[in-house]
Amino acid sequence: MSSFPNFAPPAGPPAQVAKNDVGAAATILAPPTGPSLPLSKLAPEAALRRLELTIVRRLEGFLHGDHMGLLPGAGSDTNDARLYQPGQDDVRRMDWAVTARTTQPHVRDTIADRELEVWALLDVTPSMNWGTEGVTKRDLGIAGIATIGFLSQRMGDRFGGMIMRQDSIKRLPARSGRMALYGLLRTMLTEPIVPDHASGSMTLAAGIEQMVRTQRRRGMRVVVSDFLTPGDHELDPNIEPDWERSLRRLAVRNQVLCIEVVDSHEIDFPDVGDMLIRDPESDFSRYVNTSDPGARARMNAASAAQRERVKIAMRRAGVGHIQLRTDRDWVEDIARFVLTYRRVASMLHAPPQGVAR
Amino acid sequence: MMWTPMLGLPEFMNPGRLVVLLVLPALIVLYVVLLRLKRNVGIRFTNTGILAAILPKQSRWRRHLAVALSLCSLIALSLAWARPLGVEKVPRERATIVVVVDVSQSMLAVDVKPNRLDAAKSAARAFVKALPSKYNVAVVSLSASPSILLPPSTDRSAADRAISTLEPEDGTALGDSIQVALDAVALAPKSADDTVAPGLVVLLSDGQSTTGQSALQMADRAKQKKIPIYTIAYGTDTGYVDLDGKRERVPPDHDTLAAIAADTGAKSFDAESASELNDVYGNIGSEVGFEEVRREVTARWAMYALAFAVVAALGAVSMAARWP
Repeated sequence: MSSFPNFAPPAGPPAQVAKNDVGAAATILAPPTGPSLPLSKLAPEAALRRLELTIVRRLEGFLHGDHMGLLPGAGSDTNDARLYQPGQDDVRRMDWAVTARTTQPHVRDTIADRELEVWALLDVTPSMNWGTEGVTKRDLGIAGIATIGFLSQRMGDRFGGMIMRQDSIKRLPARSGRMALYGLLRTMLTEPIVPDHASGSMTLAAGIEQMVRTQRRRGMRVVVSDFLTPGDHELDPNIEPDWERSLRRLAVRNQVLCIEVVDSHEIDFPDVGDMLIRDPESDFSRYVNTSDPGARARMNAASAAQRERVKIAMRRAGVGHIQLRTDRDWVEDIARFVLTYRRVASMLHAPPQGVAR
Repeated sequence: MMWTPMLGLPEFMNPGRLVVLLVLPALIVLYVVLLRLKRNVGIRFTNTGILAAILPKQSRWRRHLAVALSLCSLIALSLAWARPLGVEKVPRERATIVVVVDVSQSMLAVDVKPNRLDAAKSAARAFVKALPSKYNVAVVSLSASPSILLPPSTDRSAADRAISTLEPEDGTALGDSIQVALDAVALAPKSADDTVAPGLVVLLSDGQSTTGQSALQMADRAKQKKIPIYTIAYGTDTGYVDLDGKRERVPPDHDTLAAIAADTGAKSFDAESASELNDVYGNIGSEVGFEEVRREVTARWAMYALAFAVVAALGAVSMAARWP
């Protein structure tokens, strides 16, 4: 597998931190005060140039790009042959083979090549301000967006972002080019941290709905979140999470990738003794004996079932699913996903009946 | 009697030490402040929806209850340190008991078998016999002209005989009989150190006062002399006696007797049968056999503190993560 980028994950805290600084692990006590990753470590741009994100849905746009468009126009991909209209059609586009077979002059239509517009929705609610392995979930999500962004940097492709805060959604306009992408990532990194128990009732479903409403042009959508609903303890995969319906609406016209950001200690419940555990979003506060191996085993089983439910819900909604973990190299995870995605994307993103590809 | 100090605060030998109670509000404030500050400790965790469903809920009220009981224990300890005074019952060393027995004609009623007088006599004999031998006993008959049948003496056989010789007479003079009983108390011999044994009157009556002075007035006099009068309303409300071919109803006068007892700080009893009368005399025997003395009851308050502390400790242990 030599096609994987050989890119070492960030190890240890940055050089300029104080002696007692434990890095992002301090977020288990208090919300972080700034990004836990510098901009330069988000994604290895050069290494990602050799990878390409498969785009299977047809796009609409106004520029000449590298991806198959939805409507006919000047492009490189041939479409149907049709009768030659004298005075309207260019004789250089005559399809001589069809003309000979039918004895009627035909021209060959092409499908316009369009640019791709990618919009990334970043969840920055307080539960994302958490991470035990050197990087917070929020910054891991930004790194995932960066990696996807560099993977989809073709000619004229635009990349936009939406930052979902607890009280509002901030929109970062879509621009093309790598400098614009760097600007977007920098804005995401420096976006003020949402304090714990912030006012506002934004849910992931509402954020996705807003994305459906405001970004009408077909393209690719990336949703970055931990897909946890505060207070939700449902484990049955047959019961839809509240964001699934919105996600399905988003997937009708767009190719959607979901980046599920997970911390290793959300899956493996930590053993920290008798501890007061608080939720950064809800008013949950309870003493828990985390040294009880039985309780930890039940907790881990429930977390696994919860992740399975998220995975099944995404599969049902017909979206691509990448799980990134704070203790793993996200570039490797995304690269592995992209290689598999080449083969399965057309099946995965088959549009609902009655909707054009 | 035992629980009187629980109802109100007792007197203290060192009331100044109660100042330590001022520490308690400070402790309560400290606890509330710590509760507030505790919201800033502990760890953040994201997936608490699952956590709440999986792990058992630890109730907050048990924590508060343990703290409240600890505070109660501290209060009891502080009060114990101030050396509270309480009322304690100690056996009476010596006393003069005046047994007043009604001998009016109504005592011939047969609602109590064999008749009221005979039953009363045997009960009184048993009562006198059961009294501690150091007590003086006097016997007074209650009729229109009450008389001292036996001046106070420790001779139980004489008292027995005096009671046995009671014969029915005419009339009931409650007030006069109380006067005579008080006189009998005064006849008690003085002890070596020239003090008089405390007097107690046990008055058994079965009817309305017909002649003589007001009973309540005499009760007031007994109260001044600090002589309690235990009263027994004897007989049933439907009791009757045939006098000169005429049937008279002779119900006991519950209200007056109760008023006399309450006035002099004693108790009143009702007895409608021989066995009830025996019980009542037994009760009175245990009442007069003890006196109430004010003493330091520090140990009792320390025991309350211990009880609170034990419950609080059990609560705290039950909250601990690791049961031993």
